[in-house]
Amino acid sequence: MSKRKIVIEPVTRVEGHGKVTIKMNENGKVDDAFLHIVEFRGFEKFIQGHPYWEAPVLVQRLCGICPVSHHIAAAKAIDQLVGVDPENLSPTATKLRKLLHYGQVFQSHSLHFFYLASPDILFGINAPAEKRNIVAVAESNQELAKKGILMRKFGQEIIKALAGKKIHGILAVPGGVHKTFTKEEREYFLDGKQIPNVDTMIEWSREIIDFMKTYHTDNAEWIDNFAKYPSNHLGLVDKENGALELYDGRLRSVDSIGNELLNIEDIEYRYHFKEAVEPWSYLKFPYMTKYGRENGWNRVGPLARMNTCSHVSTPLAETERQIFKAYTQNKPNNMTMHTHWARLIEMLHCAELMKELLLDNELLGNDLVREGTPRNKGIGIIEAPRGTLIHEYHTDDKGLITKCNLIVSTTHNNEAMNRGVRAVAQEVLNEKPEITEPMLNQVEMAIRAYDPCLSCATHALGQMPLIVELEDSNGNLIDEKVR
Amino acid sequence: MMKEVSFKIDGRDCKAEKGQNLVEAAKQNGIFIPTLCYFKHLNPLGSCRVCTVKQNGRTIAGCTVSIDEGMDIEVNTPELLDARKAILEMMFVEGNHFCPSCEKSGDCQMQNLGYETGIRYTRFPHLFVDRIVDARPERIVVNQNRCIKCKRCIEEVVTNDGYKVFNFTNRGNETLVSVDYEQEAKLSESQAEHAMQICPTGSILVKGKTFGKPFGNRQFDYAHEGQNIPLTDIKKHKTTNQKKKRVATTSLAGCFGCHMSLLDIDLGILDVIELIEFNKSPLTDIKKFTERCDIGLIEGGCCNTDNIEVLREFRKNCDILVSVGECAIWGGLPAIRNTVPLEECLREAYLDSLTSEEGETVIPNHEDIPKILNKVYSNHEVVKIDYHIPGCPPNANHIWNVVKNILFEEEYSISYPEFKYD
Repeated sequence: MSKRKIVIEPVTRVEGHGKVTIKMNENGKVDDAFLHIVEFRGFEKFIQGHPYWEAPVLVQRLCGICPVSHHIAAAKAIDQLVGVDPENLSPTATKLRKLLHYGQVFQSHSLHFFYLASPDILFGINAPAEKRNIVAVAESNQELAKKGILMRKFGQEIIKALAGKKIHGILAVPGGVHKTFTKEEREYFLDGKQIPNVDTMIEWSREIIDFMKTYHTDNAEWIDNFAKYPSNHLGLVDKENGALELYDGRLRSVDSIGNELLNIEDIEYRYHFKEAVEPWSYLKFPYMTKYGRENGWNRVGPLARMNTCSHVSTPLAETERQIFKAYTQNKPNNMTMHTHWARLIEMLHCAELMKELLLDNELLGNDLVREGTPRNKGIGIIEAPRGTLIHEYHTDDKGLITKCNLIVSTTHNNEAMNRGVRAVAQEVLNEKPEITEPMLNQVEMAIRAYDPCLSCATHALGQMPLIVELEDSNGNLIDEKVR
Repeated sequence: MMKEVSFKIDGRDCKAEKGQNLVEAAKQNGIFIPTLCYFKHLNPLGSCRVCTVKQNGRTIAGCTVSIDEGMDIEVNTPELLDARKAILEMMFVEGNHFCPSCEKSGDCQMQNLGYETGIRYTRFPHLFVDRIVDARPERIVVNQNRCIKCKRCIEEVVTNDGYKVFNFTNRGNETLVSVDYEQEAKLSESQAEHAMQICPTGSILVKGKTFGKPFGNRQFDYAHEGQNIPLTDIKKHKTTNQKKKRVATTSLAGCFGCHMSLLDIDLGILDVIELIEFNKSPLTDIKKFTERCDIGLIEGGCCNTDNIEVLREFRKNCDILVSVGECAIWGGLPAIRNTVPLEECLREAYLDSLTSEEGETVIPNHEDIPKILNKVYSNHEVVKIDYHIPGCPPNANHIWNVVKNILFEEEYSISYPEFKYD
């Protein structure tokens, strides 16, 4: 057998531009495998010279799937530039921003589960490529597809009510928000007349978790072991009690068996993280400085959050978390495919949180904007659907941006995804006489579990065809397969 | 008492007072002439030329014409409609009018004029200028990249002592509207806000007063509600597949927001998939065209060599190619980097970031990753594009109405509130 290079391009059903290359040696073994992120945008540079208030509106265009996350992370940083720390924001503004954020996490998780991941789960990894998409899901299980669509819609409608439009809207302004939330707007989400209400969202979220648990029981062997490997986990936790926190908290990291590696004020992040650069990817590789490039990388996202938090504040999601945790005897869960399960628990959590907020009259207040003494630096860190998201801005004395640093969720997962790709490639491709399309889909699934948003990550996004090129040892193309 | 005179507009008999301004006279006779720099109580400036008409066969700025007996005016001939549109397009490309992130979006007269004239893309390439954003004044910020030199602020904004605050500096295409800092400091809050309001673009902003109005409350959000955008260049197209139509989609240098908007018809998607099937698309696992497609929807512009390749492949395999969203149409937000040399962008991201390793020297460059282009290109600079759907992202109805029109020859209309650049 000759040396060859396999290219999977584009990686599909992920939100972004990715490409996998797998290098195989003469003995048919995988020498190495890489996930390349192929886009670069340069937001950090070209935002310089713009007034700081443009940041939340401009930077959210990094990503059309979770624009709200960028809008809010930037807004939290910009608050500090006008001298307002998270605790000094008005309660109404904080709650409106939180509701917006939970609506966003809810819709993004729905999108991922129903539109992107469910085909693999419903049809199995060996299903033909034409079948692996939401259209086929709709054809084979219309009820499930409808629920998925309406759940995403609920989140999108929350966003529209608060930010004016479903994608790239505006709610946050420096020191607060620019819009009140009315009783009528609230009623839309409670009375269930025009769209299924928030209680239905809670109910459906529970149904989906049950569906997932059953699926897990039936396929435990595969789900538990696929692309599994030990790693550190990073997430925000509540400042007081260590609970799962999505909007504002402390940064906590634990290793694969639960030892605490980091527990810091979020604005201290810069003293604890560095980013490495590799020539073969436009995406950087962040790690905790203290533990170095080799051991200091983290996973982020739903699975990591389940591993870093002490509990979940809402009752139904907490019950589910306990079931989830019991499966690993309360130790960190390193089973990559369990990310899907964790994501659904968060979906339930967000539905419960949305209900809590919708019933809170403070949400309807009109104390919207606070002011303080202007500063030159602001750091905003939140948990986006895909994990810890970091924005930092510096300005000159006139309010023009002089420096910007963005570490987005998927960047943290870069190392994890690359290791996942390598592990799965070795597992499924080593010494196989024939490379089949479903084998390559499995490699993609290792990436898809992270729901990577490569758009944000490269401070870009998109997609690409699957080509398998077989090259001889001189690099000459001897065979090509196209799926 | 002024003397009433008779004149003709597009062959129609009109009456007005002798010496009356043509724009006003036309309005009284039910004919709309678009204007931008024109400001009722100021002497006509004639600086922007979007009111271009023909008087007795000669091209002239309409706002500078005083009505006289027997005048023969042409306003809405195909030639003049297109000329005015072209003039406006030139203004859009001359400065950095990035509606999606502009504070004045929704309140911008130039943007609204773009809607009224149905501009979906510009026939000229954007210049991506790099002019000063002057934040030194006390109350205001002047973004020179958005100034169209209409002269309104120069004529209109004065201190209580009667001093001008704005004035031209430099000459020719170097001309800037500069601020007299000393006089500007004397402006009251409301005088400053007045300056922001009369600026027909987003050039003059008041600190602390930006993004104050939510969507829906902005001046032009619902302008012309109930009316439809006059899109004259929608043609019937012949597509390959007769029964179930095939659609391919891709995101080049975009953010996926346009794809998300595509999904925002919610349950409507279940009806749509009865009529069409998706071929190559990030929503499916079909990675290479398996069959010829009737329509290709392109989100995002071209920022690297892969984007160019994919775009050409789409052109080869699709009957009709549609640029969806601002990034596809002119580069969008990623194209802001066109105002900065690429090397500086790369250096900032990989070598000089706040979390860079000390002494970092690596900038990604490898045979397995595409090369970054010197600038972000709009898709119609690379291949022929048949339709353009503006917006960031475009409204879901807008996208699907265009698709249905192309595929099924359904009547195509798009209401003003659904036709936006932000």
